[in-house]
Amino acid sequence: MDRAWEADPPDVSSARSTGTLQVRPLADRTGWQAAGEVSLATRTAWERALDRLALEDVEVCHLELSGVTFVDVAGVSALAVAVQGLPEGRRIMIEQPPAAVGRVLDMFWPDLPGVEVVAR
Amino acid sequence: MTAPPAEPFVHPALFYRGEQEYVDGTVPFVREGLAAGEPVAVAVPGPKLDVLRSALGDAATDVRFIDMTQAGRNPGRIIPKVLRVFADAHPKARVRIIGEPIWPDRTGVEYPACVQHEALINSAFEGRDATILCPYDEAGLSEQVLSDAYATHPVVISDGRWLDSPSYAPERVVERYNEPLAIVEGAEGYVFGADELPAARCFVAERAARFGLSGVRLDDLALVVAELTTNSVVHGGGSGTVYVWGEGGQVVCEVRDEGELKDALAGRRPSPPAQLGGRGLLLVNYLMDLVRVRTGVEGTVVRCYVDV
Repeated sequence: MDRAWEADPPDVSSARSTGTLQVRPLADRTGWQAAGEVSLATRTAWERALDRLALEDVEVCHLELSGVTFVDVAGVSALAVAVQGLPEGRRIMIEQPPAAVGRVLDMFWPDLPGVEVVAR
Repeated sequence: MTAPPAEPFVHPALFYRGEQEYVDGTVPFVREGLAAGEPVAVAVPGPKLDVLRSALGDAATDVRFIDMTQAGRNPGRIIPKVLRVFADAHPKARVRIIGEPIWPDRTGVEYPACVQHEALINSAFEGRDATILCPYDEAGLSEQVLSDAYATHPVVISDGRWLDSPSYAPERVVERYNEPLAIVEGAEGYVFGADELPAARCFVAERAARFGLSGVRLDDLALVVAELTTNSVVHGGGSGTVYVWGEGGQVVCEVRDEGELKDALAGRRPSPPAQLGGRGLLLVNYLMDLVRVRTGVEGTVVRCYVDV
């Protein structure tokens, strides 16, 4: 038997996901709070939230993602494309996303203006 | 009548034995490029970088050096992440690159991906203003590897002489190394459809963690599994099976489905920033340490290796 199996398996229950996404408006600032995961099943809801964010008439919109367990590449792409469509001077602040969001942004859109990531 | 324009892309294999022949074959190539005002990049294994840096002296400051054992660890990302990224950064210039993707330590598992990469450079760069010189270590590489280099390069340089390869046939190489990938004994499998995508991802992540993968690398694998399984659902017949196992200090994960991958350059073209989709296989190539693909009318297997 492989040696790695002798130790107790690490707790990965937090990575479990039901494949749903809940999006609701933030109470204290302009933007949305999302919980769940961004993947094939929830892509439409995610893109709708991004579309509505782009329509807000404020300088900074917030996207609070502390309750999001996973965002796939298409989800990050939708975000990056939404940011590129913002009028000049406007930006989206991504708060506490899964670490992979920042990594995928850096990988495909290094130095993208209009987006700010506040890490977990 | 005028003659048809010559193909601007030049892709020679350089056969060398020993350090002196290496320097003799590469340094004048770099200097000629610099003298002509061409941007020059050198992507070769680390020890060779040192040899070229010192042989070039002051001229080295104008050259972009890349350690191919890192950047090109997975041969599938060399075209988008090493070659195209450099060429695309200089859209108005002819560029000159030394790319050495095959060295004696490459394993038998890696080699098919290496030689397919060499073959695909030709279509990836067709019509581009570029020269990519690929050194081959005649003393350290097998007869098969050297003979494949004749099939993947339209011209070869041997003993300082340029000659047309008599056996250039890159498409045939891609097909020959499209080798069957049998299901590995002891691998744990999970059958998924659209409703099981999150569960398939968690299935792999849990097992990969038990095999010792953690942190960023575990996140990487979760992203990769999501891309491959979503591809199966959207393009590969609606379902598939994902397998995971441990092998020699690596976690291996593969996704099998009934689709056929018809675009040989899928996952090897950099994506324009404003493009919404199409980054899935590119991401897989960027993040994994090796990607092997078998595709045909019977279906597709994408097998990914990641170091623990």
